[in-house]
Amino acid sequence: MKGHDAEIQWVDGKAKIIDLVGLHARPAVKLTKLAKSYKSEVEICSGENRNWVNAKSPNAVMKLRADYNSPLFVRASGSDAAQAVKAIIDLVDRNFNE
Amino acid sequence: MSENVSIVIVSHSPAVARGAADMVRQMVGDDVRIACCGGNPDGGLGTDVGAILGAINSAWSPKGVAILVDLGGAETNSEMAIEMLDPEKSKRVAICNAPVVEGSVMAGTEAACGSSLEEVKRTAEEFQS
Amino acid sequence: MTKNLISRLIAKIADSICASADDLTKLDQAIGDGDHGINMRRGVEALLKQGDDISRQDFSTALRKAGTAIVMSVGGASGPLYGSALLAMAKTASSMPSNQAEVGVVVAAGIDAVKARGKSDAGAKTMLDVLIPVHREIENGSSIDRIRRVAEESATATKPLLAKKGRAAFLGERSIGHIDPGAKSAALIVHAVCEVLEKR
Repeated sequence: MKGHDAEIQWVDGKAKIIDLVGLHARPAVKLTKLAKSYKSEVEICSGENRNWVNAKSPNAVMKLRADYNSPLFVRASGSDAAQAVKAIIDLVDRNFNE
Repeated sequence: MSENVSIVIVSHSPAVARGAADMVRQMVGDDVRIACCGGNPDGGLGTDVGAILGAINSAWSPKGVAILVDLGGAETNSEMAIEMLDPEKSKRVAICNAPVVEGSVMAGTEAACGSSLEEVKRTAEEFQS
Repeated sequence: MTKNLISRLIAKIADSICASADDLTKLDQAIGDGDHGINMRRGVEALLKQGDDISRQDFSTALRKAGTAIVMSVGGASGPLYGSALLAMAKTASSMPSNQAEVGVVVAAGIDAVKARGKSDAGAKTMLDVLIPVHREIENGSSIDRIRRVAEESATATKPLLAKKGRAAFLGERSIGHIDPGAKSAALIVHAVCEVLEKR
């Protein structure tokens, strides 16, 4: 995916991690499951370094270690990209239904 | 329940096996059937081929069963149990080369999304803390 | 004759394992998880329990039933190892071997199964370090007395080896200086079989 950013049409979004322990394991699982329910490519990154990772990879999402109060950027590309970004931002805003 | 790959957890310790299964249930939810077993036929630390066979059959999914094991004997006994299944079933059971607790959660997450046995195994094995 | 021999083999192997169960456990405490004696005793007790049924069968079925009993009862890694050996021997032996060469063929099948199950071979400080030299003696037509001696010497010879398989492999260099418990139990079994065959 990296290196082709210019050619891919991304839908972007941004949310904030409001859980005091950050994006820990259980929410990470929820985020992954949600991302996988969309056909689009879905990526997330934490902080400003824009190191995008595949939101459908449980391993990548767990390793992201997004902190409390840090922004979580979401982007998706594909037929249901807008829905995917919205759903993930909603999930984060709801604090993962925790 | 939609048919997803099931997870079987095999530890030398029944408490570890149950604990890992609890973590998967809590973190992944009820979309994946999980069975676990631990302890030798006398209830001491160890693994038991009969119990592993029972766990595989109780969690059986036509989509496959991913097994997570802890140490040596757990793997050997799981391989033995797989060979003792019907050949049709044994083709759809795979042991994941991953740490038992973390691997179970990763495998469960992947399985809950409807992924194939190969994908479930790969995700568990890719885990690095 | 067949029935007698099978029940005598089971009884002798069980005697020998039970008498040495504590020693096997002590060896395993040094380099393993300390349960080999307990596990092996559970295995031979399962054999004894099913002994009447097993000894009523033809040789191949008896081996298969014995293998299943071991697999389902032992618990540790030695269960699938010995169990797979017996199950493979059952597949190879259509009838009771009538000479030493035939015994060699059956034993070879068992050894191959142990290698496959344990993903191991000679020199890794395992039961194979007893079974392989014993098989060589059988093939060479050696006397029962010599086979028995080689089994014992081979078990002792695992002492300086570095463990590469099983729990003992975690110990690395520290596994050196201890006899491998699996090699010891294999030697005990060979010893028991030799005693029965000698008195046949």
